[in-house]
Amino acid sequence: MTLSLDRRQFLMGSSALVAAGAFGATSPAMAADVHLRLYWWGGQERADRTNKVSDLFAQANPGFTHDEDFNAFNDYWPKLGTQVAGGNAPDVFQMDYRYIVEYANRGAIQALDDYIGKSLKLDDFDQDQIEGGRVNGKLYAISLGANSVAMMVNKDAFAAAGVDLPTRDWSYDDYKSRAEAFNAKSNGMRLLADGSQGGDPPLENWLRARGKALYTDDGKLAFDADDLVEWFKLWADLRAANVCVGPDDQALDATAAIDTTMITLGKAATTFANSNQLIGFQAVNKAQLTMINFPRPGAGVGGGHYRKPSQFWSVNPKSANLDESIKYVSFFINDIEAGKALGVERGIPCSKAVRDAVSPTLAVQDQEALNFVSNLGDLLGSLPPSPPNAAGEVATQLNTTAQAIAFGQTTPEDAGPAFIQEATDILARAATKA
Amino acid sequence: MTAESPRLTIVTGASTPARIWRKRATSVVAHVLLIGASILMLYPLLWMLSASFRPENEIFQSNSLIPSAVSLHGYISGWFGLSRSFDTFFINSLTISLLCVLGNLAACSLTAFAFARLEFKGRGFWFALMLGTLMLPYQVTLIPQYVLFLNMGWVNTFLPLVVPKFLASDSFFIFLMVQFFRGIPKELDEAAMMDGCSPWRIYYKVMLPLSLPVLTTAGIFTFIFTWDDFFGPLIYLSDIKTYTVTVALRTFVDSTAESNWSGLFAMSILSLVPIFLLFLFFQRYLIEGIATTGMKR
Amino acid sequence: MTARSLSGSTASGERAAVRSGWWSRTWNENGAGYLFLLPWFIGFFGLTIVPILSSLYLSFTNFNMLQAPDWVGADNYVRMFTHDPKFFQSMRVTLLFVVFSVPLKLAFALLVALLLNRGMRGLPLYRAVFYLPSLLGASVAIAVLWRTLFAGDGLVNKGLAVIGIQGPAWISNPRYSLWTLVALAVWQFGSPMIIFLAGLRQIPQDVYEAASMEGASKWRIFWKITLPLLTPVVFFNAVIQIIEGFKSFTPAFIISGGTGNPVNSTLFYTLYLYQEAFSFFRMGYASALAWVLLVVVAVFTGISFFSSRYWVHYDS
Repeated sequence: MTLSLDRRQFLMGSSALVAAGAFGATSPAMAADVHLRLYWWGGQERADRTNKVSDLFAQANPGFTHDEDFNAFNDYWPKLGTQVAGGNAPDVFQMDYRYIVEYANRGAIQALDDYIGKSLKLDDFDQDQIEGGRVNGKLYAISLGANSVAMMVNKDAFAAAGVDLPTRDWSYDDYKSRAEAFNAKSNGMRLLADGSQGGDPPLENWLRARGKALYTDDGKLAFDADDLVEWFKLWADLRAANVCVGPDDQALDATAAIDTTMITLGKAATTFANSNQLIGFQAVNKAQLTMINFPRPGAGVGGGHYRKPSQFWSVNPKSANLDESIKYVSFFINDIEAGKALGVERGIPCSKAVRDAVSPTLAVQDQEALNFVSNLGDLLGSLPPSPPNAAGEVATQLNTTAQAIAFGQTTPEDAGPAFIQEATDILARAATKA
Repeated sequence: MTAESPRLTIVTGASTPARIWRKRATSVVAHVLLIGASILMLYPLLWMLSASFRPENEIFQSNSLIPSAVSLHGYISGWFGLSRSFDTFFINSLTISLLCVLGNLAACSLTAFAFARLEFKGRGFWFALMLGTLMLPYQVTLIPQYVLFLNMGWVNTFLPLVVPKFLASDSFFIFLMVQFFRGIPKELDEAAMMDGCSPWRIYYKVMLPLSLPVLTTAGIFTFIFTWDDFFGPLIYLSDIKTYTVTVALRTFVDSTAESNWSGLFAMSILSLVPIFLLFLFFQRYLIEGIATTGMKR
Repeated sequence: MTARSLSGSTASGERAAVRSGWWSRTWNENGAGYLFLLPWFIGFFGLTIVPILSSLYLSFTNFNMLQAPDWVGADNYVRMFTHDPKFFQSMRVTLLFVVFSVPLKLAFALLVALLLNRGMRGLPLYRAVFYLPSLLGASVAIAVLWRTLFAGDGLVNKGLAVIGIQGPAWISNPRYSLWTLVALAVWQFGSPMIIFLAGLRQIPQDVYEAASMEGASKWRIFWKITLPLLTPVVFFNAVIQIIEGFKSFTPAFIISGGTGNPVNSTLFYTLYLYQEAFSFFRMGYASALAWVLLVVVAVFTGISFFSSRYWVHYDS
């Protein structure tokens, strides 16, 4: 039976099966009667908006039908990976900054350069958002919205403690100097969440502001043990001075999911997050929230932030409807009505025309996000290169190390060099499998 | 028999006042312990029930079980909030689960009968293999299995979730039934054989009727395991109108974007209802023991 | 034995003789066994064996899911035992988990089943209530509840404070977090309990009657009759709980958010495997991990089966 199939053939599935009309289009050349499989991550809110855009596209392109499929972020990747492994990937699917290099290098997403100016219009698209989708110089994914790192701030808690709200100028020292006054009236709540355990964004922001970066262009670490020791010491200091939450509390937040962050749990008055999450945070928090930038490393030191593509559309290179897929993506990011349907749910629109049309229609907290990202000023630095393969693994290791320090299992001086060694090993191991 | 019992009770002294007292006391203690333990068991359900009626911003921030304001938002947004109303998902889950129950009961009992009662060459070897399939985590057979089903054209249908049950893929239940079958006295088989019964008749007329407790257990468990199964439907179903309850529930919560927590908890509560009904309805088959030891003694 | 009794039967006359002839042949020639096993064989050879063998093959490759697998021989296995501290950590965590949660779970399940078997008032209700935690298994509500109970300022510590004990932050401290997972596993003892109940109900009533007629005490009845007759079911529950314990994934996944933290103290083996497969794109290595687990579980199961000769009684 199936035992007689060649193993490789068996494992990789048969793309012939895919092309043989299993998924709709009878003849790829025809513009009519096109059926696309779309797949994205997000909740129903995002699905509703996306479906509206698909409907608009259908109006402009009669004969277009689509499959809508979406799952939560954590479930998305195993399913997508399985489908790609089976040769059954969707036509158009979302991609994340964390994985774009992996997928691009493995040929799982289509290079789009040849389509620019033809099916893919990027005329008034933000340049840095285009760059964000490049790997090795080629464009592999189209940004669906820009966001930036931002701290969520519990306005009510600050008011209750009689401390002024953080401003754009605050550095870690500013938080430290106000900690005592805050803690006196805050009933156990601290000013900051433990940023050393927040994955790589806080570290990256801090490094960039000081002129360094997380990774180099060719995928190696762009910082050294001394930097890292200083970073760990900064947080050990903040912890000791009760400026940030203790390890027991921070460990309750395993994945930075909105519902387990320190701000939602009432343990801290701020938390490290992203600018497009304000609505999500406000939904589960009774207190009034606002957002501010990540703390500066020192007074007047900027350049840590950047406008990151929050998510991308990518196209399956083996799609039977390659051209239509790209047309869909182009419509998605350029059409004004589509832009209005999408709002800023995925991030700030990258096409200027769309942005201008959408801006007046936004709700208050959405406006806040838009203003924040558009007006970073001296906080804005240049876009870093896409993270290398295994950046996710390095970030996981970083969290574990930071946690070990927080629980007293190791010291910053020891952990710094040890981590650099581990991270280098991880990156080297990932690189050899290219 | 009943005429003898008064004599027996006098002989064994079971009904002296001290004994009755002790019996009542242990009964009370037992009940107290059970009620206390029940509260422990019930607490998450109560929490979920309370959360389903709460406004969204209170769910994670309040410590009491009583919501400050009762809102039906969770139930309404949960039921109508997805592209399909929730009854679609209930029907899908029900269909799959019931089919799986059918498949498992039929196929696993046949297989278990063979392992438990029939003599054949290689029985131990096949039994070990059957058990061995339980030991491999599903994460690593996922992709080859996906490719297999893809090549058969079964992806995006219910088939990968249901057909394996009809082919006795659930070693858990085979093993369970083997253990129960082996507990049934062999004399019954032998008596039936002497009457000229074929293995099939023994299976059908002797084994199955006596196995009502384990069959009911297997049926209920299959239903529950299938109803709660998430990863299978996630991977094999790509069209939202085919989603099961568990997959649909997972779309309510996304760690990166806005979630519908009250909707999640509301629908979770509702999804427990069929299981409870199932439980209550089939209780008596679980209770029925073997009142007699068999047909011919 | 069977052939002789069948052919020697005179009860049903000619038809029986013809029928018994055919059936005696089937009965004798392993045919019946294989016939009954037919569905399982089809399933095993058609659906099950190929993915299993594929995963064995994959364990000798580097497979990132997005490209074809790449043969590397035993590299994965070598690395596991020489270069991978997380492997040993996850093995350790999982072993501790199994050693503590399985006996406790079985003990509770048996105890409560015995309690409920007395046919008391409200039995169906109690049975459903005790099964409830297992039903809620993977839900977010459990994660929230566990946090509420076992956080530094959670209900458990508040309770302990009443009697003057300052409890640690159970769920977020690397030294204690694993025990909250053991507690979670034991709390979900509903499944083995139901199975014990079914097993208890299968013990024929007249066995009990005969025993009480002979004046046996409750304790003796339990020890000499109930327990021995229950051993096949005890065996089943023990073996299954050991296998499931080693494969345990969901409790750690929902409580630690899939990270195995704090500081890898809840990094169950299959959680580590899942990370390797889907987060780090190393499906080949994950497959190797899976096969090592299979060997470990098979050894434990084999020991269980071997020992079962000495304590499991099948009625005959």
